[in-house]
Amino acid sequence: MRIASGGVTDVGRVRANNEDCYKIVEPLNLFVLSDGMGGEAHGEIASAMAVETVVQHCLDLEANPAAQVIGPTQPNWSARTKRLSTAVHLANRKIFKSAEENPDQHGMGATLTAVWIDGAKLSIAHVGDSRAYLLRGGSLLQLTRDHSLVAEQVRRGILTAAEAEESDMQSVLLRALGAQAEIEVDAEEHTLFPRDALLLCSDGLTRVVTEPEIAGTLQAETNPGRAAEKLAALANERGGPDNITVVIARAEKDSNGWFSWLRRGARKNPDSNGNVGGN
Amino acid sequence: MPKLSLMFDNKIVKEVSVGTRPVTIGRSPDNDLPVDNLAVSNHHAKVYYEAGRMVVEDLASLNGTFVNDLRVERATLHDGDNIHIGKHKIKVDASGDAPVPWDSGRRPTAPRIDETMVLDTKERRQMLQQAAAMGESMQFAGTRMKVPTLVVLNGHTDQKEYVLTNRLTVIGKSAMATVRLKGWFKPQMAAQINQRDDGFYLGPGDKVPRINGNPISGPVRLNDGDLVEVSGVRLNFIFRE
Repeated sequence: MRIASGGVTDVGRVRANNEDCYKIVEPLNLFVLSDGMGGEAHGEIASAMAVETVVQHCLDLEANPAAQVIGPTQPNWSARTKRLSTAVHLANRKIFKSAEENPDQHGMGATLTAVWIDGAKLSIAHVGDSRAYLLRGGSLLQLTRDHSLVAEQVRRGILTAAEAEESDMQSVLLRALGAQAEIEVDAEEHTLFPRDALLLCSDGLTRVVTEPEIAGTLQAETNPGRAAEKLAALANERGGPDNITVVIARAEKDSNGWFSWLRRGARKNPDSNGNVGGN
Repeated sequence: MPKLSLMFDNKIVKEVSVGTRPVTIGRSPDNDLPVDNLAVSNHHAKVYYEAGRMVVEDLASLNGTFVNDLRVERATLHDGDNIHIGKHKIKVDASGDAPVPWDSGRRPTAPRIDETMVLDTKERRQMLQQAAAMGESMQFAGTRMKVPTLVVLNGHTDQKEYVLTNRLTVIGKSAMATVRLKGWFKPQMAAQINQRDDGFYLGPGDKVPRINGNPISGPVRLNDGDLVEVSGVRLNFIFRE
């Protein structure tokens, strides 16, 4: 599977600084996004620390494969899923420790949503209310559940999804990096199919842009970077009340299938992936 | 501070101020404003602040509560109003500054929060309990205890029944599909089910599935007992006890 990706982060139209942070590590097909919180510039510190810690720990997999695994794991998880989940635990410890040691950073925290793609396997780890979606077969599938008060109320049947969208309490999180010494991390594995489009975003997008609009943009604009920019621009058109970050990755099928030689002739620049076949 | 003056024969018998706590009025001595008269019920009425306004509420008394000679069950009070209970009159003095509003607890609306904040464990338990108390619809709680299951009615699949535990369930021929379809020309990924906060949504994949005979164009929430048809397979979605 070939992965094409792109991302954008934007301060929005209301906030003075951008507390969001993201990183795409192309050689690893690793995508990490974080939304920071805390007074002064501390939200920026927290989100940068979160992204950096997760990326470093994942990059370290080759060099140091036996590193300790933190937190509960499933027996069938791949090494990458365990690594990613552990990396999120490490990021939490780091932010928590920093806030404890520096009293002026008290209350700083961050969300974290990270996806690591290895062939057809997608590993995801997540804390907070930044989301991951998969566009597949024209449907937008949500891979994360928000760790927010209103989302928990929807899951418990206290609020409907529509009531939650109108709630004044949307910013209240039940879980975030840096709030407690140890936290629970949601981690899962999924299968990636050709033509799937993955989207990670901060709540600055989902508060003002609807899911059908996100799905429509992903379908209309297949270039990941341009699609991310279009979505951020749409959020700004709606007032840009918060920082907006969008990361998009698309899975494209390698052309080594049975009938690929039929399609090869139609392509402008045939690649050299070792296929043999007639013209 | 606003106050209530219990009058008898145009003389002040007792005065109480109305603060953040409600003032209870009645014949029983445990009231904030006891009124010793047989026409007064043991716990007759209470006065309190709600959203910055002083309110009197009759506590299902036998002889009733009157504001300016009108019988009321609940009424907003203004400066100079008179409450009549039995043969007694209570003068309302609302001229002072209103106390920090005492909320009746009926509608625990929280202040608007723009900045993202995280609740610690204790706060979050309290808020969820408060939210549960105000939410009248806890009937879903029962549903949540049940196990979402797909039962295969017809067609070739690798199992007869699937418990939906993942956020994403793929129906297809793919080796990675949860519900694996068998047979030639079956699509790798025929359809999928996405677990969201408010339920399970069936969405199209390479095929357009049907729910209870109706083709769907986008994600549709599954209800207990729905019949799902896709790629020659019929599945029954149920919440199993």
